Amino acid sequence: MAKKIVVDPIPRIEGHLRIEATLNESNVIEEAYSSGTMWRGIEVILKGRDPRDAWAFTERICGVCTTVHALASVRCVEDALGITIPTNARIIRNLMNATQVTQDHLVHFYHLHALDWVDVVSALKADPKQASAIAQSISPWPKSSVGYFKDLQQRLVGFVESGQLGIFSNGYWGHPAYKLPAEVNLIAVAHYLEALDFQKEIVKIHTIFGGKNPHPNYLVGGMACAIDPNSDTAINIERLMMIKKIIDDTNTFIDQVYIPDLIAIAGYYKGWLYGGGLGNYLSYGDFPETTLADFKTLLWPRGAILNKDLANVIDVDPRDAAQVTEEVSHSWYTYSGGDGKGLHPWKGETTPNYTGPKPPFEHLDTSKKYSWLKTPRWKNHPMEVGPLARVLVAYAKGDPMIKETVGLVLSKLEVGPEALFSTLGRTAARGIECKQTAGFMSHYYDQLIANIKTGDYRTFNSERWEPSTWPEECKGFGYTEAPRGSLGHWIQIKEKKIKEYQIVVPSTWNASPRDANGNPGAYESALKGTPMINPEQPLEILRTVHSFDPCLACASHLFDMNGKEITSVTIV
Amino acid sequence: MKFNTINVIGLGNILYGDEGFGVAALNRFREVSSFPETVCCIDGGTQGIALLDYIESCDAVIIFDALIPLDYDRQVYVYRNDELPTFIHRKMSSHQMGLSEMLGIARLQGRIPPQIVLIGVPPKELELNIGLSPEVSLLLPEAVQQAQTLVEGWLAGS
Repeated sequence: MAKKIVVDPIPRIEGHLRIEATLNESNVIEEAYSSGTMWRGIEVILKGRDPRDAWAFTERICGVCTTVHALASVRCVEDALGITIPTNARIIRNLMNATQVTQDHLVHFYHLHALDWVDVVSALKADPKQASAIAQSISPWPKSSVGYFKDLQQRLVGFVESGQLGIFSNGYWGHPAYKLPAEVNLIAVAHYLEALDFQKEIVKIHTIFGGKNPHPNYLVGGMACAIDPNSDTAINIERLMMIKKIIDDTNTFIDQVYIPDLIAIAGYYKGWLYGGGLGNYLSYGDFPETTLADFKTLLWPRGAILNKDLANVIDVDPRDAAQVTEEVSHSWYTYSGGDGKGLHPWKGETTPNYTGPKPPFEHLDTSKKYSWLKTPRWKNHPMEVGPLARVLVAYAKGDPMIKETVGLVLSKLEVGPEALFSTLGRTAARGIECKQTAGFMSHYYDQLIANIKTGDYRTFNSERWEPSTWPEECKGFGYTEAPRGSLGHWIQIKEKKIKEYQIVVPSTWNASPRDANGNPGAYESALKGTPMINPEQPLEILRTVHSFDPCLACASHLFDMNGKEITSVTIV
Repeated sequence: MKFNTINVIGLGNILYGDEGFGVAALNRFREVSSFPETVCCIDGGTQGIALLDYIESCDAVIIFDALIPLDYDRQVYVYRNDELPTFIHRKMSSHQMGLSEMLGIARLQGRIPPQIVLIGVPPKELELNIGLSPEVSLLLPEAVQQAQTLVEGWLAGS
């Protein structure tokens, strides 16, 4: 009889995600089910509020993607009200977004995902001399001396011996699926700590432009920061120089630490190419060079790929009622017109209807409703969103920078493009993209300086700020490509207030349950066929799910009354 | 010992009723206090790792948050330094995972502030709603008072 394995909760950072998988007699995953176990309801809280305030509430949904909801929110309100933002505001938003993606990818790789590949305890046995030699062979990064690795190792030993393993306490150390030599593990742990230090610098860009961090300020009609090269309080020369230094350091860190580590680690795992999944990829696109409506100028192109067919990128229109829909046949909601009928977000409904077992429980009945996540589909297809989707759409469209970086990574690993359709491919795509967005930061800095030099200091368009200038009724769509994937906000405004607000977040695309036709979501599909060495320590499941960078707090807020801290695994 | 740089951080999600206690307490603290600029008030909201700098860069830190101790009444709880990890395994919210991890990282990096104090109240209502329940609101002045007394003591060097 098939065994059933339950992993709950999975994300190291946020939210509740429960994976139920059935294994065959050889411990290969036959079927997987993904369930969001907490209700989300931001849509309900926004009804009746001033649309100009929506960004401040949506920004608080998520503990990780702090700025992305604010960005999508101001964009949807501006779309509804027909507001064009000044050039400086477009550039600053792009720069803040590139900063967010870069910082988020870096933190994800080192802080959340690396430990699925890196055995911290093994690093204690490494030879610092060899670690130093390896580090110097893969990168010019200066922190690579024997003494540096020796000191770090001693610090780690002291930490472990004092019984404060703490942050590393819930790993499956010694698991046979770990393949790195002890020295590479030590290098990775060193960079884990360096990356944690470095990410603190990157987000200072948010503090400068957004006034504060976390939760920087956005503004419908532009940005709330003033530009004046000669003022003490505005964005001035001194602050711009500070930003320039952060951007340069970021590019160096990505080029000399992240990318060499990614290639070094991936080299030991290139035989582990599970986790590809759907083969359907969606990107709304982002980083407008002109306006958002002119989506042909987006630096991250828009498009969809079906069945891994890179020769055919299909046009996407998220405003089209037949394209982006959400249904609830396996979700704990009710639709007035039938749960299996997909609704476009402008027609969306949020009526919770929990029919699952009373917690704590052993199993969900996956033939019925089994998740608090709705089921988004593009033209009825389940889609993967995120770095891999974006990189593949750009690659298939012939983007020169992406083609070059993908080519470099593939050739160093001595694998072909088909290797991208995997968990490792998803992880590599995130690194490739991070290098690209660090480059965007430099690009937008140069754009900003050039525009300020023309004497244009405007950051805010006040023409439609007053509600008296608004139409009686209107609707808008705002999008961004968040670090985790395509994010859409759809708003309807009536009598100066929010009438309806619907958000479809990246993790809802990726972690969605089955649809009315029985098609699995991206996580569910990616896990299928994965062999497990030891089902009691499901490292392979964590690898694949973490490779999507799950952030279920976006999709459903977490409040754990049981205080369950570590990933719990039960074999049923 | 005198502490010069003091950070006061409010944690929590203001969209979920009493989950927003930490942010509400911080805002109240900011309103009613008149400390020098070296006492920084930080609305940490739902953030985790982004707050690492605010933990590592000060001599003393106060964190306001909603929390659930093992056995509890509806009252203000204050945990200092080594007392913190003893309840963190009973976390109720994502940013506390962030907090316990951040403290672990700060400790590993050798940058744990000499004074860390967590001031919290068990939540009553955690439904989707902006604003605290009356029961938790009642405890705000005491929580803020505790923080003020601590900061005054640190500034005076006592």
